[in-house]
Amino acid sequence: MNILTSYNWIKEYLDTDLSPEEFAKKTTAVGNSVERMDQLSERFEKIVVGFVKEVKPHPNADKLKIALTDVGHGTVEIVCGGVNLSQGQRVVVGLPGAKVKWHGEGDLVELAKTKIRGVESHGMICAVEEIGFEKLPHGYHEIWDITELTSAKPGTSIAKALELDDTIFDIEVTSNRVDCMSIVGQAREGAVVTEQGLKGLKGLKGLKEDDDRFTIEVKEPRLCPKYSAILIENVKVGPSPWWLQKRLLLAGHRPINNVVDITNYVLHEYGQPLHAFDADKLDGEKIIVRKAKKGEKMKALDGKDYEFSDDMLVIADAKKVVAVAGVMGGEATATTENTTRVLIESATFDPVSVRRTARALNLYSDSQLLFEKGLSTESTEPALARAVELITELTGGKTASSVMTEQAKSYESRVFDFDPQKARALMGIEMEDKKMVEILERLGFVVKGPFDSGQLLPELVEGVTGLRSVNKYFQITVPYWRDHDIEASVDFVEEIARVYGYANFPSVFPAGEIQLIQEDQAIKFQRRTKEVLKGAGFTEIYSYSFISEKQLTAYGMKKDYAVFLRNPLSSEFEFMRPSLVPSMLTTVEQNQHRFPEADLFEIAPVYIPKKGNLPDEPLHLVIACYGKDGRELFLRAKGALARLMRELGINDWSLERSRDPADYIAHYHDGRLAAIYIGKNYVGEIGQVSDMFVKNFGLDPVCVLIDIHEPEFFSKCTSIKSFKQLPQFPEVKRDLAFVLDERSEYETIEEKLGKTSTLLERIELFDVYRGKGVEEGKKSLAIHLSFRSDERTLESKEVDQEVEKIRHVLEEEFHAILRS
Amino acid sequence: MKIELEQLKKDFENTLRDVKDHVALEEVKNEFLGRKGKLKTLLKDVATLADEERKAIGKLANEIKDALETAYGQKESELDMRHPGSRLDQEWIDVTEPGKFPSEGHLHPVTQAISEITDIFARVGFTSVRAPEIDWDYYVFESLNMPKDHPARDDWETFFVDLPEGKKGKIVLTPHTSNSQVRVMETTKPPIRIININRTYRRQIDISHIPMFHQFEGLMIDKNISVVHLKGILDYFAKTFFGPNRRTRLRPHHFRFTEPSFEVDITCGVCGGNENGNCRLCKGGWLELGGAGMVHPNVIKAGGHDPEVYSGFAFGWGVERTLMMREGIKIDDIRVLYKNDLRFVKQF
Repeated sequence: MNILTSYNWIKEYLDTDLSPEEFAKKTTAVGNSVERMDQLSERFEKIVVGFVKEVKPHPNADKLKIALTDVGHGTVEIVCGGVNLSQGQRVVVGLPGAKVKWHGEGDLVELAKTKIRGVESHGMICAVEEIGFEKLPHGYHEIWDITELTSAKPGTSIAKALELDDTIFDIEVTSNRVDCMSIVGQAREGAVVTEQGLKGLKGLKGLKEDDDRFTIEVKEPRLCPKYSAILIENVKVGPSPWWLQKRLLLAGHRPINNVVDITNYVLHEYGQPLHAFDADKLDGEKIIVRKAKKGEKMKALDGKDYEFSDDMLVIADAKKVVAVAGVMGGEATATTENTTRVLIESATFDPVSVRRTARALNLYSDSQLLFEKGLSTESTEPALARAVELITELTGGKTASSVMTEQAKSYESRVFDFDPQKARALMGIEMEDKKMVEILERLGFVVKGPFDSGQLLPELVEGVTGLRSVNKYFQITVPYWRDHDIEASVDFVEEIARVYGYANFPSVFPAGEIQLIQEDQAIKFQRRTKEVLKGAGFTEIYSYSFISEKQLTAYGMKKDYAVFLRNPLSSEFEFMRPSLVPSMLTTVEQNQHRFPEADLFEIAPVYIPKKGNLPDEPLHLVIACYGKDGRELFLRAKGALARLMRELGINDWSLERSRDPADYIAHYHDGRLAAIYIGKNYVGEIGQVSDMFVKNFGLDPVCVLIDIHEPEFFSKCTSIKSFKQLPQFPEVKRDLAFVLDERSEYETIEEKLGKTSTLLERIELFDVYRGKGVEEGKKSLAIHLSFRSDERTLESKEVDQEVEKIRHVLEEEFHAILRS
Repeated sequence: MKIELEQLKKDFENTLRDVKDHVALEEVKNEFLGRKGKLKTLLKDVATLADEERKAIGKLANEIKDALETAYGQKESELDMRHPGSRLDQEWIDVTEPGKFPSEGHLHPVTQAISEITDIFARVGFTSVRAPEIDWDYYVFESLNMPKDHPARDDWETFFVDLPEGKKGKIVLTPHTSNSQVRVMETTKPPIRIININRTYRRQIDISHIPMFHQFEGLMIDKNISVVHLKGILDYFAKTFFGPNRRTRLRPHHFRFTEPSFEVDITCGVCGGNENGNCRLCKGGWLELGGAGMVHPNVIKAGGHDPEVYSGFAFGWGVERTLMMREGIKIDDIRVLYKNDLRFVKQF
């Protein structure tokens, strides 16, 4: 979360002479990251007060006028289309060179002298939104009339005339430090880093006691540990003075009326949300903090109707709901121009309840943002005091009751013990106890001690994790504004370290013993697989782990085979994929028009539901070769597979026509499908996708897939290599070509021939031919045969005898016709 | 004989000088160096010389022969190079034609980033481990010191799986890689130095957010580990991955499972860390790299170790983000990473 903070405002609470740049740098270093700095005098450069001396019609345009405007260094003509432009006004003039936002939209644009419909314009009379105050209420096509806001001379810079000489910091606040979501919070941190003085907060003094007027009843003390309110009468509701409006505008709030503005002002200044009810509209002079009844309704300040469920905390009067606790007030009881009595609420609500209610209603506000991070019950009083002060001063109101408070239990500060030696060990630097204590005290912690280890602690309030003292203790009391984020003694280490400055810590390389964790086999070989496939010309894709029901159905898988998300982002992302195939086919479909052929792969886990346990997440590999010719694609895919297996050290792999085609018949082309085995383990399939897939996924090209889906694959990978002794005697080569039946499988032939001759070392298929000259239904194969003996050089004659045996087998057993 | 040999050398050099093509060169070679050439003829009588003289002449003859052959070789390559119609000239190719590739493969940029990150940490002894992407609430939240009502455990931030709750709570898609922390500690006695790179899931999708992205998590647990060691490892990574001139800073931050916690910033590569510049990539010269911190004692305890004995640090951040930061890229729409448009993937 971020907060916009005016440096001038911070300086009301902090005595500092640092430049804005220095302050930003220092406060960033301790954790209040200044993400952006806006120097207003720069923003308003060349924007000045103008005085409209005369308004003339534009000769060439009905909707435009010419304003003779005194801009200090003289009177100039400015063309203007503002509907409320009139003589005698003080206006905001952007001179040539000024940067403005045209109609409040888009980027800043630099103004130049220009002709508008034939008349030269020496600047621009600006609307509110054109110089960045879009939150001020303003009319359509109206210029900003600042006659009431300033009496500065024409030509005075706007920054000066409207007292905008300020720097705005946009500061990121971490979710645990809601105390920094305020001017006072930033001033506190500022006081720590600048080591300069902090001014105190308001307290409630001199108020009437024992005059309750309203009854406050908290029915849910766990959800509302404290509720305070005060009644103020004689209030005159109207616009806030400019200084207050300006502060709100620069902080990102929209000015509404003085009472509401004051509650927002205090919220921003003290970090405690307040709410103002029109007391006359509250039935029965009663405030009840309770859970809503199911179906109860209220129109909120945003003008929308909300219906509540019975777990939501609301503020009610005797008859109706008047506010969603900690989130937003109701329209019916809001302050209006006619309001004269207001009841100001300053309360603490349970963070979780506020968060869940806001999310359920989809209703968010500045108050809710603070409450859901957890506020201290102790911060209600100073904020109420500050509001009373401002209301009295700015609206003429007078307090008409005591501070009426319902609080479940009295406040107890959190106290922890603290061992400086343990802190030093965790920080890794030497720092004296004195220095640590000093830093903690600067942060508002109250430090007692040191106490000796043997000595029993006076009042050990909370246990300590991780940093139990052995030597010396300090006992540390947490200031109320930190009572949510300081949870254990170890938290003090961070406080000390951040104020000391992480930039002052050295960088040290850790030494230590050797650890024994082995690299995960799948991680290691997944990487090797990717590199090999890339080298083989394949392109890697990454798909979401999610798939849609449509993809799942197209894949022919039942819904209960996949992990289903209870709260998916959309129907596209409802399931966790149980296979990589559907996303791969979708990828092919999405690229087929631009790339009519491609070789792709993906390695990723898939998710398989398991009864009573976490889903399994085995790593799968899918390879797709798509294009025109299924036979060619099959061989390309198989070639890649062979290369991959070799590179992964897997030698005992084989393909078999599917062991149970019924399993995969819906997925693959029956005649172009084989099962992949490693040893006796079935690890996946290779095959051309079925007509059903082609149809379901809308594929134009032919696609051959390799789907490796069994864990044996990665577990069989090895980087261990073996080698054979180089041969001592030369080989003898012979070639054979023969025609035989198309369906005679090459591997069967190779296997048979290998058994036919003991001297045959290697067979290599070097040509397959079908077509002209070869009968339909037949194919021509050409093979190299290599013969070798380990004991002697072979003679031509004995090789001829071996070839003769082989020819015989081919003719007899495979009915081959030899061509040579 | 000696004088004759020297003369022969001179004659050869003079003749060679006038040679203009390969044919003439071949003739000269035959004339002097051929089987019936001048050198052979001259040396015919060497055998008849006295021992001593024979040795001296033999030596000189060899030197002269070498010199002639060298001169011939030089002339030959000279002719090859310079003359139109020679072999090298005929074999001229256009070296400016585009090269041909064996078909070109591509790895997804995320794979490339993961490999680099893994290698960098492997060099300092961090081992890659695998942890589930779908895990029990216990490992994802509970054991990481996140209370039951923490916002991250609500439906609108984290994906919940429609499977029955177990002893370790609901089943969720991991929104970060920190579930590896307690999982590794449960099974391993320190010293521990691991990294876990995994897919992570969060419920948001727009031009700068994707519901699935990658994170990497580093964890070190040992005796006497402190903030200065975390700083050491982070500096090492930043300088190795991003370059030696980049600086880092630790900004105090807040995470439930580390204490103290930081955000790690690195100087911007585009503007070089100019704090007052108006950079298109960074805010005030610094880029946010990721989160880090000292492992919370409660987390060490949940991992089954004694936080009085062991301490450690953890760090983790987005892989995609880290990659884009190094290249100085601002991808207009980060969703392109997982759309598998081959026009995108084939660029890497």
